[in-house]
Amino acid sequence: MRRLLVTLAMLPSLAALPAAAAGERVRLTGEAIDTWCYFSGVMGGTDSVVGSAHHTCALWCAAGGIPVGLLADDGAVYMVLKWEGDASVTGGDAVLEVQSDRLVVDGVLHARDGVNYVIVDRVVENLGLVNLTHQDYDVVPPFAIEAPGK
Amino acid sequence: MSGPRIAAALLAATLNGPAAAQEGAFSAGSQAEEWSLVGEEKALFSARVVDILCEIAGDCPADCGAGARQLGLVRDADGALVAVLKNGQPLFNGAVDDLLPYCNAAVEVDGLLIGDDAANPAKFYQVQRIRRAGEAEWSKANRWTQAWAERNPEAATLPGPWFRKDPRVQALIAREGYLGLGLETDAAFIEYLFP
Repeated sequence: MRRLLVTLAMLPSLAALPAAAAGERVRLTGEAIDTWCYFSGVMGGTDSVVGSAHHTCALWCAAGGIPVGLLADDGAVYMVLKWEGDASVTGGDAVLEVQSDRLVVDGVLHARDGVNYVIVDRVVENLGLVNLTHQDYDVVPPFAIEAPGK
Repeated sequence: MSGPRIAAALLAATLNGPAAAQEGAFSAGSQAEEWSLVGEEKALFSARVVDILCEIAGDCPADCGAGARQLGLVRDADGALVAVLKNGQPLFNGAVDDLLPYCNAAVEVDGLLIGDDAANPAKFYQVQRIRRAGEAEWSKANRWTQAWAERNPEAATLPGPWFRKDPRVQALIAREGYLGLGLETDAAFIEYLFP
């Protein structure tokens, strides 16, 4: 018993470690988005900062390390913490490649303090860029495309 | 449009927006710059910088992922995990380069809590300045562009803002166009946009 107590005393304080949770296995379908523009309204309403109108800005923001989210059809956003085949979700190639695409992914969901987080371990299907918002909004922000010859 | 002019345009657009920062639970003493964002509240608070994946799933490399992972703040006052989306630069960049030097450290941060979305009932954070607990001097959260330049030394010598000359972004636009719908669609759209 005494040896057990000594052993326990040598372990790091459990209180100092984060309270890890197992998470929930999920399959999600949604669009890979730039979370900053979506939540902040810096470029306009949420309808204008998704899809083709906002594709170039989404590339900039993903390359800039802004968290990438998966926007589901019910409006819930799942912030990506890991992505199949790429160690980096802060501007890594894999999250950059799928910006604005509609995706079906398998992963593990964690929720805390109102935010959904997802660890994506498999992209089941990439349906491509199907949200044609440029038909309503042109490009957002307007300077995303430079005038020819500039 | 040049980098400084784009930054100025972005700031002007936000500063002229309809919303003014609201007083929030953490607004006292904040000197954060207002951006007129959705649900914006100035917010100054003490916290611990965390690797979010470590915090929620127990997957904990010693160095918070060395820049490859999203980082957050566990606020002292209520234990809330606050997701950090943005640093202080109006240049399409995140905050990992600004937070990483403080991995697992106690800090004080000043910035903006933003967001008011019914489907996502959370406040997200834009960090504008940061200091270690007990330190007097603040550091501006504006490290990203310098870090990008160090990662892209050749591109950094070219004129223009980083996002116009980032090699990976340029390659994707060259392949799929600005709209992401292919070069043919892009060409027709550019003709419409700039008749």
